[in-house]
Amino acid sequence: MKFFDLLRLVAGNLTRRKARVALTAVGVVIGTAAVVVLVSLASGLRQSASEQLYGIGDLTLIQVSPSYGGEGMYMGGGGAISSPSDVKLLTNSALEDFRAIPGVESVIPREYLMSSALIKFQKLEMYPNIIGIGTNDVADLGDTTDRGSTELGRGSIVIGVTVPQSFYDPNLRPGKEPPPPPDLFNQQVQMVVFKYDSEGHETRKNIALRVTGVLKETRGESDWAIYMPLEQVKLLNEWSQNRRFNYNKDGYSMAIVKVTDANQAMEVADQITAMGFQAYTPQSFLEGINNFFIILQVIFGGVGAIALLVAAIGIANTMAMSILERTREIGLMKAVGATNRDVLAIFLGEAAGIGFLGGLGGIAVGWLASQAINILASIYMANQAGQQGSGLPSVAAVIPLWLPVFALVFSTLVGMLSGLYPALRAATMVPVLALKYE
Amino acid sequence: MGGQVVRALDNVDVEIEEGTFTVVMGPSGSGKSTLLYLLGGLDRATSGEISIEGERLDQMDENALALFRRRTMGFVFQSFNLIPSMDALENVGFPMQFAGTNAKQRKIRAQELLAQVGLENRADHRPSELSGGQQQRVAIARALVNAPKLILADEPTGNLDTSSGSAVMRVLSDLHKAGRTVLVVTHDPRMTHFATHRIYLLDGRVVGEAEYESAALEALQIE
Ligand SMILES: Nc1ncnc2c1ncn2[C@@H]1O[C@H](COP(=O)(O)OP(=O)(O)O)[C@@H](O)[C@H]1O
Ligand SMILES: [Mg+2]
Repeated sequence: MKFFDLLRLVAGNLTRRKARVALTAVGVVIGTAAVVVLVSLASGLRQSASEQLYGIGDLTLIQVSPSYGGEGMYMGGGGAISSPSDVKLLTNSALEDFRAIPGVESVIPREYLMSSALIKFQKLEMYPNIIGIGTNDVADLGDTTDRGSTELGRGSIVIGVTVPQSFYDPNLRPGKEPPPPPDLFNQQVQMVVFKYDSEGHETRKNIALRVTGVLKETRGESDWAIYMPLEQVKLLNEWSQNRRFNYNKDGYSMAIVKVTDANQAMEVADQITAMGFQAYTPQSFLEGINNFFIILQVIFGGVGAIALLVAAIGIANTMAMSILERTREIGLMKAVGATNRDVLAIFLGEAAGIGFLGGLGGIAVGWLASQAINILASIYMANQAGQQGSGLPSVAAVIPLWLPVFALVFSTLVGMLSGLYPALRAATMVPVLALKYE
Repeated sequence: MGGQVVRALDNVDVEIEEGTFTVVMGPSGSGKSTLLYLLGGLDRATSGEISIEGERLDQMDENALALFRRRTMGFVFQSFNLIPSMDALENVGFPMQFAGTNAKQRKIRAQELLAQVGLENRADHRPSELSGGQQQRVAIARALVNAPKLILADEPTGNLDTSSGSAVMRVLSDLHKAGRTVLVVTHDPRMTHFATHRIYLLDGRVVGEAEYESAALEALQIE
């Protein structure tokens, strides 16, 4: 039997039972639409997550924190719980150990300012995120500047690109326009550091600082940071905490390990973890996100697959009914010279046809539903953006090119598989019995 | 089914020569259809030999039987067995699809055969739009489509009134005159006028005309 004749015969047989074919195909439509919507939702979520993760940080950087043993609970005041053997502090000798790991380019300790501080510029103020780094060049962290230099000196600071947006006018009268973010490059700012004694008396220390560099946008932590030499942060901490810090004994609160090649980051991080420290790479985060979305797609796809399974039972039932009704027709086909394979092909073709039609409908419905979701999502996002600023994902559901193709092939296969058993029964009918069937 | 063994045909030995018109007569249940289906390779006997032109049907597998039917045999059934969704032309051309004939040739051949059975102006009519006699003539045209040597007809006039039945008989007789071998199962005595050979069946056995006549008479007296 010629393939084109088979197609025509199958199409003819399907059109002579339009209502039943349509009702059976509805199940496939629902199943396919579910798969399309759910997979496109998962793809959309994944895409917007990757969009937001853009600039998650330099992939050659590993953040290392000390381990205080147990659950890693830090009890404050430099004290630690649990046995000393579990405690791994970021002492200078530990940093030397990191430097000895192959693939490590540099190890830079960093320290936060431990007291509250305020930065003033003209009439404006802000609460700074001061980070002291143990290098005199911010470029060692992988950052570059828009303007000025990445180098740090005593009395100079390098700021992230969004820092100026944190300035506000404390004396702004209600209803008046807030002032625009100041241009701080090459400007002198005043930093006020506060210290309180046990009776709550406040002491202030004023420091004049010059902004010698503004970093390029990274969409990471650097954007909001104010970098200062570690030594200076240490002196301020010693003043505000009334104690001396010995980094050989107490260790730093964090270290940045920079590797030469981003591909080595995970490996180096694993070695540092094996040494008892807590190491964190952007890769591990990305990997987690990826796994999450793969799981999401599998779950969503699974829901659709269950819907398709139900549809498959419907197709099998319809085909079985149809074959019963056409038993004499099958007998006739065999009498006029149809082989078992011809009969099998005709009925498999009809089942596949129902799956194919349902798949087409399902893709159309799924596509429409995805568009509807995107419209709803964009309305919702627009509302949210009004409150939170930009950076929200633009789409919720994305239909990758492979999805409709996959859905069509899959639904056709589902149809074929569900029709397999009834079609085999039709093909192997004894001609004389089929012809005598009432 | 149950333990009862039914011998639809028992110890039947018949020979049908090429170019003959054979009528198989017998009361209902005597095994006429069984004989026809066995000869047509649509049924299998539990034992015995069936050969057509030296080929052993009882030794062929399903696929070989299908191909053999396609080449050699045309069937006509009591209930026509036309496909309701196809018009007369498509019904006649249907078997040629399995032979792989292309659509154009199918159409030409089907038109030719419809003309041969006197239905050239009914080509686009569906079975539901045709009388019983016309449907049976479409079915005969379909049986002829692959130019078979042997035409097997199972009570072809059984569902027809007298005049349509006569028309169908004439068509079958014409086929015989044109050189084909025709075997018709019937209990319509008029059919015997056309026959060159007769086979009488009683309870699955082949009997002579005399025995058959006396059995028929006996049956009449009981009624
Ligand atoms: N599939 C079958 N299974 C069992 N018995 C059958 C079957 N087909 C026919 N028979 C029996 O075989 C005998 C002959 O049947 P059949 O050839 O149809 O008779 P006819 O065509 O002469 O009326 C009958 O007794 C019938 O009941
Ligand atoms: Mg019969």
